Amino acid sequence: MSALRTALGRVVALCGPHRVAVMIVFFVVFPWLMPYKALAINVLILGLFAVGFNIVFGYTGLLSFGHAAFFGLGAYGCGIAIARYGLPWPLALGAGVLLAGVGAVLIGGLSIRRRGIYFAMVTLALAQLVYYIFYQAEPITGGENGLRGVDVRTIALGPVALDFLAPTVKYYFVLVFVSLALWCLSRVLESPFGAVLEAIRENETRARACGFDVDGTKLAAFVLSGLFCGLAGGLKAMHLSIVPTEVLHYQTSGLVVIMALLGGMGTFFGPFVGAAVFLLIEDQVSLVTAQWQLVAGSLFMVFVLFFPNGIWGSLLQWVGRAP
Amino acid sequence: MSQSHSVARRYFLKTTAAGIALAAAGIAPRRARAQAETIRIGFPVPLTGPFGTEAKDQVAAAEIAVKEFNDAGGLGGRRAELLVRDDKLNPGEAATRTQELIEKDKVHFVVGSLSAAVQLSVNAVTKARGVIFVSISQSDAINEAKDWSKYTFHEALNPHMTAGAVGRYAFPKFGKRVVFLTADYAYGHEMVRGFQRAGQPLGVETLADLRHPLGTTDYSPFLPRIQALKPDLLILSNFGKDQVNSIKQATDFGLKKTTRLVAPVLLYTARLGGGPEAFEGVVGGTSYYWRLEEKVPSARAFNDKFRAAQGGAVPSDYGALGYAGVRSVLTAAKGAGSTDPEKVITTLRALKYDWYKGAQYYRGCDHQAVQSVLIIESKKAGAMKNPQDVFDIVHIDPPDESTLRSCQELGHKA
Repeated sequence: MSALRTALGRVVALCGPHRVAVMIVFFVVFPWLMPYKALAINVLILGLFAVGFNIVFGYTGLLSFGHAAFFGLGAYGCGIAIARYGLPWPLALGAGVLLAGVGAVLIGGLSIRRRGIYFAMVTLALAQLVYYIFYQAEPITGGENGLRGVDVRTIALGPVALDFLAPTVKYYFVLVFVSLALWCLSRVLESPFGAVLEAIRENETRARACGFDVDGTKLAAFVLSGLFCGLAGGLKAMHLSIVPTEVLHYQTSGLVVIMALLGGMGTFFGPFVGAAVFLLIEDQVSLVTAQWQLVAGSLFMVFVLFFPNGIWGSLLQWVGRAP
Repeated sequence: MSQSHSVARRYFLKTTAAGIALAAAGIAPRRARAQAETIRIGFPVPLTGPFGTEAKDQVAAAEIAVKEFNDAGGLGGRRAELLVRDDKLNPGEAATRTQELIEKDKVHFVVGSLSAAVQLSVNAVTKARGVIFVSISQSDAINEAKDWSKYTFHEALNPHMTAGAVGRYAFPKFGKRVVFLTADYAYGHEMVRGFQRAGQPLGVETLADLRHPLGTTDYSPFLPRIQALKPDLLILSNFGKDQVNSIKQATDFGLKKTTRLVAPVLLYTARLGGGPEAFEGVVGGTSYYWRLEEKVPSARAFNDKFRAAQGGAVPSDYGALGYAGVRSVLTAAKGAGSTDPEKVITTLRALKYDWYKGAQYYRGCDHQAVQSVLIIESKKAGAMKNPQDVFDIVHIDPPDESTLRSCQELGHKA
């Protein structure tokens, strides 16, 4: 056992500097490990959502209960641009990310003045506000029926037109964006800015005493997080070809907290592990029984109580590398 | 030298022959299998969530249609199979599950859904991929040219038909001064619009349209206002638990003394859950109620099959739609002699059928099932012959295209 542990520790140590490359290689073969491709795409998208959320939760130490707002703004921004204005998908995806970024500036600007439970409640309230605006704006968003007509069937790459309805093509299309996002995030976390984020998480007062602009950094982290979540939302809209109102619902905010905690908060790969495990349980257990939430909930409690570092965080700890 | 050459040659011949035999063996069963390939029907319904009871009933009824088809020899030996998926009443989950059914399970048809939003999301996925979808829950939007495609069939009633039929029955009988209590979402709004359209030529007056959020448990803020308006009719355009709660509270408040309660869709399961006292005298519409068997032979045949399969239970309204939707596609596939969507669409469009409630057919422009709407009234506890005997069918609105919105209004060319 201990030999395995050291060996694994060595592998992790070797992979560490190339974590993005290793993850991409893993994701290239990932669809063949999943029951079907649409689920693999959901794991990528919700994993990216959880990664974005992890920037404020795991790295900066702020528990937001309103991240569905950014996921939803990205989805609706992209979806409305395609369904209502007929924009080509690259512009639409950009519009979704931009809308989520604007939302993050506004919500972040108001909420980061508070800490702890107050911060969580303010983000929740503001996200609900966004939910009801989109729920009521029926002529634009489709209201409770959801937004239909996000119809992307081919992706034109110069002379080649890729069939976006083919699940494998769609998976690798999403993977390209997820890879780019992960590479960006990896660079940000390694920069001095990333170090300041962790300093704030560990001790906000000390970070301020060291002369760092704590409020500015928090807001920047919040907006960065919003942009990542918005990208995930835009990809979700293209993947499903609809935008359901559920993307903005507070349950989506809760879901991303569960995924991040289950996988391991503050770890680079953990959010994807959390998303994959949760979605797999939901998918496979619900084939057997309608009580799948009982299984998912029990697993979540076990991890919160006995493995607070999550699945991936505990694994890293076990092989001797702090998460 | 020559010997080794001949050995090599013999070896070559042997291996080639073996190779060809193997390849042939590999191809042959595959071809045989293709001929007897099962007909797969994807069936996404909300097994978890507030409509779980209805969803289970839909599955049970759909299984009867599949069994019937298989017992009759299938399609030239091809058997049918139902692939049930839980859509969790969530349009996003439904879209993912439908992609799974089409991409991984390679289903030939999709039948199902029990929510307006879910059926529209399933429809978005199936129409992009050219797979026939028979929706078995209410929506007006799915008939409209924006959402509709030639692969879309709508077996359920839609709010316009239902509210229209109930309105045409209730307004002349109970009075013209109306208050609406409406769940504030697409279903509720569409129902109100249907009632108002039916009421316009009759001179019906809307005193108020009170909107409550989905899932409201306390209706006491609305009740004094309704009582003060003294309407002849209170129309409750809400569904499931909301319907049970609002009817119970309105009854307790004493509204029934002056006002008749009407619901566009009076659910069998809601009535069982709410009890006879609260629902007594409430009038509403439905696509199906089991006592239709007293008048319609196909209803009796269907009920008997359901009772035999489900230990004496009778099918609910939404459950019966699961049977009808699956039976339609399977019959059409048999008629077309193929599962090719274009051929099956042609036979479905030409289908004149009577599966369980009398004559029906799909309208040409939007594939809406033209069918009767039953008007039912909830019975007094004392008048019930058995626990399943909860409604009286007081009127049957016959199938008639003129009760639907016109093709032009929906944006269809023809």
